[in-house]
Amino acid sequence: MKNEWERDTAHRAKALFDESVEALDGATLSALNRSRHRALEELARPRPRWMRWAPAAGMAAAVALAVLLTLPGPARIDVLPATVADVEILLGDESFEMLEDLEFYALIDALESGSDVG
Amino acid sequence: MNACTAGFAVSWAGEQSTGTRALRREQQLNRFLADVERRALRIAEIAVRDRDDALDLVQDAMIRLARRYADRDAAEWPPLFYRILQNGVRDWHRRRAVRNRVMVWFGRASRDDGYDAVAAAPDPFGRTPDEELANREAMDGLERAVHALPGRQREAFMLRTFEGLDVAGTAAAMGCSEGSVKTHYSRAVHSLREALGDHYEE
Repeated sequence: MKNEWERDTAHRAKALFDESVEALDGATLSALNRSRHRALEELARPRPRWMRWAPAAGMAAAVALAVLLTLPGPARIDVLPATVADVEILLGDESFEMLEDLEFYALIDALESGSDVG
Repeated sequence: MNACTAGFAVSWAGEQSTGTRALRREQQLNRFLADVERRALRIAEIAVRDRDDALDLVQDAMIRLARRYADRDAAEWPPLFYRILQNGVRDWHRRRAVRNRVMVWFGRASRDDGYDAVAAAPDPFGRTPDEELANREAMDGLERAVHALPGRQREAFMLRTFEGLDVAGTAAAMGCSEGSVKTHYSRAVHSLREALGDHYEE
């Protein structure tokens, strides 16, 4: 009974749908035709060289990531040493100008740290 | 025939064979796309309620299929094609939701659904004006009801009913289990029956 009821609903919906498909206008059919030919042109286009290596490159990247995650690393990595002084600078009047040149200041900081070591 | 000539003949025959295979593949894909394109367009149109966007989604799905899966067995194309199309539809809805949130933030709600299904409905053939109107109303009601379904139910219903994919093909296209397809489909049919009761009464 339930199956019959479902079939009936689906059957009526399908009939309406098919009719709307059959009655698509010429402009739409023409657009679909153009789209299809545009897609078929893809077959003649050679694959970019990098795409041939994509599966192997993906596998290599996955393996490299797995190795990196399993190896013991440094206790912590300082990307940008954030000190109290840095925070004070950021809260100062010049903070907005500083934010614009943050990368520059990070470079200066790195150079200074390097000279201390050397 | 010396060795050089024989080698050339084998090479030439190989190229001919490759060329023939490529041509046959192109013909197969052309037939498949020509067969599926109109239904795919209507399925996408019901999902997004915009014909131009639906055309873009179908073209994108065609191109992706040709670019990535043309070498696959032709029997695999229907679920692959519809999987690409459904992913496109989902992305479309996500983008639309983000855009609406942004528009609301700026105090300008975008049109929620200004789509006029009756105006966009194609002209049926050979019907009296009354029959044509009744049919358009029924199709409009169906479109609105299908569009109002939750996304997964809508996908299951349209792929099973409109495209005629079997449960396994629908599951492959939707990226879910066959059991999920059956559940989504059954719920969709019940919701539609409730929503379309007036249209579907004898």
